[in-house]
Amino acid sequence: MSDTMQETSAVLEARKAYNETLRIKADQTRATWFPITLMILLMALPLLQFTGNYNYMLHMVLLTASYVAMASSWNILGGFAGYISLGHNVFFCIGGYFAGMLVARYGWSGIALAPLAGLVAALFGYAIGLITLRVRGPSFIISSIALVMIARLLFDHWKFVGGANGVTLPPTELSVQWAKLPYYYAMLFIAAFTVWCSYKIKHSKFGLGLRAISKDEIKAEAAGIDTRFYKVTAFALSAFFVGMTGAVWGEYLTYIRPSIFLVILIAAYMVLMCILGGKGTIAGPVIGAILLTAFNEFFVATMGASELNILGTGVIMAVCLMFFPHGIVGTLARKGKLPKILNWD
Amino acid sequence: MDQIIQVAVLGIGLGGVFALMGSGLSLVFGVMRIVNLAHPSLIIGGAYIAYWGFKLYGIDPLIMLPVCAVILAVTGILFYKVFFERDAKSATYSEMTVLLTFAIAMIVEGALGAAFSNTQRVTSPVYATDAFFIGDVFIPKGQLYAGIVSIVIIGLLAAFLKYSRLGYAIRATTQNREAAALLGVNVNMVGLMSFAIGIGLAGAAGALTSFVFSFFPAKHWEWVAVLMSLVVMGGMGSILGTVIAAFSLSIVAAFVGTWIGSTWSTMTFFLALFLVLLFRPQGLFGEKPELV
Repeated sequence: MSDTMQETSAVLEARKAYNETLRIKADQTRATWFPITLMILLMALPLLQFTGNYNYMLHMVLLTASYVAMASSWNILGGFAGYISLGHNVFFCIGGYFAGMLVARYGWSGIALAPLAGLVAALFGYAIGLITLRVRGPSFIISSIALVMIARLLFDHWKFVGGANGVTLPPTELSVQWAKLPYYYAMLFIAAFTVWCSYKIKHSKFGLGLRAISKDEIKAEAAGIDTRFYKVTAFALSAFFVGMTGAVWGEYLTYIRPSIFLVILIAAYMVLMCILGGKGTIAGPVIGAILLTAFNEFFVATMGASELNILGTGVIMAVCLMFFPHGIVGTLARKGKLPKILNWD
Repeated sequence: MDQIIQVAVLGIGLGGVFALMGSGLSLVFGVMRIVNLAHPSLIIGGAYIAYWGFKLYGIDPLIMLPVCAVILAVTGILFYKVFFERDAKSATYSEMTVLLTFAIAMIVEGALGAAFSNTQRVTSPVYATDAFFIGDVFIPKGQLYAGIVSIVIIGLLAAFLKYSRLGYAIRATTQNREAAALLGVNVNMVGLMSFAIGIGLAGAAGALTSFVFSFFPAKHWEWVAVLMSLVVMGGMGSILGTVIAAFSLSIVAAFVGTWIGSTWSTMTFFLALFLVLLFRPQGLFGEKPELV
C-alpha cells in the first residue's frame, strides 16, 4: 500500500520536474524582447514632437492602443470563456461617463480616475453578468445587444448626464504640441497592462477554467469548476479594462455623449478585431486592432462615407468568419508557421 | 375606460406587425438553429422596395407586399447558398452563424445607407394617416390594415405548417433534425425552404412596416433587440410563443408609452427580455419543441 503511494508521488514529482523543464524551454524560445522593444519604441515616439508636429501619428497610436485594450479585454470573456458579447461598449460608456462626470463637475483628472472607473464598470459587469450569463450561446448574444439598447435609451434621456447632447469636459491646458501626451501614455499603459493581464489570466488556473468552459461547460461543471463564478468574474474583468479605456478616451475627446460610446460599430470592432487576429490568443486582438484601425483610417480617408465603412466592416467580418474562423494568429499557429515574435501565448 | 380600450387597440395593431416580424425569425431559428440578426435589416430592405414602388409607380404597399416577399425570399435563398450552407456541421455553428448574421446585417445596412442615405422615410398611402372612430375610440387605418394583414399571413403560415407536406417536414426537422433525416426528410432542402419562407416573411413585414413606422437603414438595431426579445420570450423557435409574446408585450408597451412616456415604450421589450432570462431562461414555450 505505502509502496504504491510512494510510487505515485515519485511519478508526480517526475512529471512536475518535466513540466518545469518544458516551461523553461518555452520561456527561452519566447521572443519577450519583441513586445518590450515595441513598447520602448512607442514610449519614445513622442520625442518626434521636438522636431515637428506629429500629432496625427500620436492620435493614431492612441486610437490603436485604445482598441488593443478593448479587444484584449473582450478576449478574456469572448476568447477564453467563449461567451460572445456584442454589448461590451456599455462598459466603455460606463467608464467614460463615470470619469467624465467627475471631471466635468469637480475638475478631477480622468486619467487618475481610470482605475476607479474600471472598478465601477466591473461592478456593473458583475451585476449584469449574474443575469445574462445564465444563458449561453445565442440567447447570451441577444441579451448583450439588448443591453446596448437599454443603455442607449437611459443615457439619451438621463438629464443629469446631459441626455443625448452629453457633457463638455474642460479642455487640457497644455500647449497643442504636448496636449496629447498624458492621454497617449495613459492609453499605452492601459493597453500594455491589459495585454499583460490577459497573458497572466490565460496561464492561471482561472484561465484554464475559462477555457474548459468554452470547450464544454457541462463537463467543466462536472469536473468541479464553479462555472458561474468563473464566468461572472471573467465578465467583470473584461468590463474593468474596457471601463478604464472609456475613462481616458472620454477625457481625451473633451466631451462625452451617448453617440460616441453606445454605437453598435464599436462593439462590432471589438469582436471583429479578436476574430481577425485570432480569438483566444494573446497576440490576436493586438494584431486585429492594428490591422482594423489602419484599414478603417484608409477607408475613411479614401471613401469618407460612414455607410460604406459599415459595409466594409461587415464584408471583412463575413469573410473572416467563413474562411479564417481561427484568425491570423490562430490559423498560422495551427499550421506551425507562426513567427516567434508573434507567439505571445 | 375609453382610454384603456384606445391604448389596447393601438397596442394590438402594432402587436400584429411585430408578430409577423418575429414569426419569420422564429421559423428560421426553429429549423436552422440560426439566430438571424440580419432579419430586421432585411425587413428594412423590404420596406425600401415598398417605398420605391409607391413613390415611383404609385403602387399601394399592400399590393407590393407579395412582390416584396418574393424578392426577399429569393435574396434569402441567395444568402443561404453563400453564407450558411458551407459549415453546417461545425460544433460552434450556432455561435458562428450569429456573428455571421451580424456581419450580414452590417452589410445590408451599409448597402442601404450608401444607396438611399440615412434620412427617415415613410410610405404614405391615403389610409396611413386616416382613422376610424368607434364611439370615442380612434383606430388608425394604417395600423388596422397592417395588423389584419399580419394576422392573415400568420394564419396562412400556421395552416401551411399544419397541413402541407413541406409543413410536416419543417415541423419534423424542428423537433428532431436527425430523426427527420432518418425518416427520409431532405433536411437541407427543408432548411433552404424555411430560410426562404422566413426571409420572405421579413419582406412581407417590410411592406407593412413601410407605412406603419418611419424607417432608415440604421433603424434595424432598435428592432433587432425588440424582435429578439419576442423570440427569446416565446421560447426560441416556437412561433406560437413569439406571436403571444408579440401581442402581450406590444399592449404593455402601448400602456407604458401612454402613461410613462413614449420614449420608454421600447424599454418594455428589453426589460421583458431580462426578466425572462432571469426567471425562465427557456422562454414561455421553450421546453415544448412544438410549432403552432
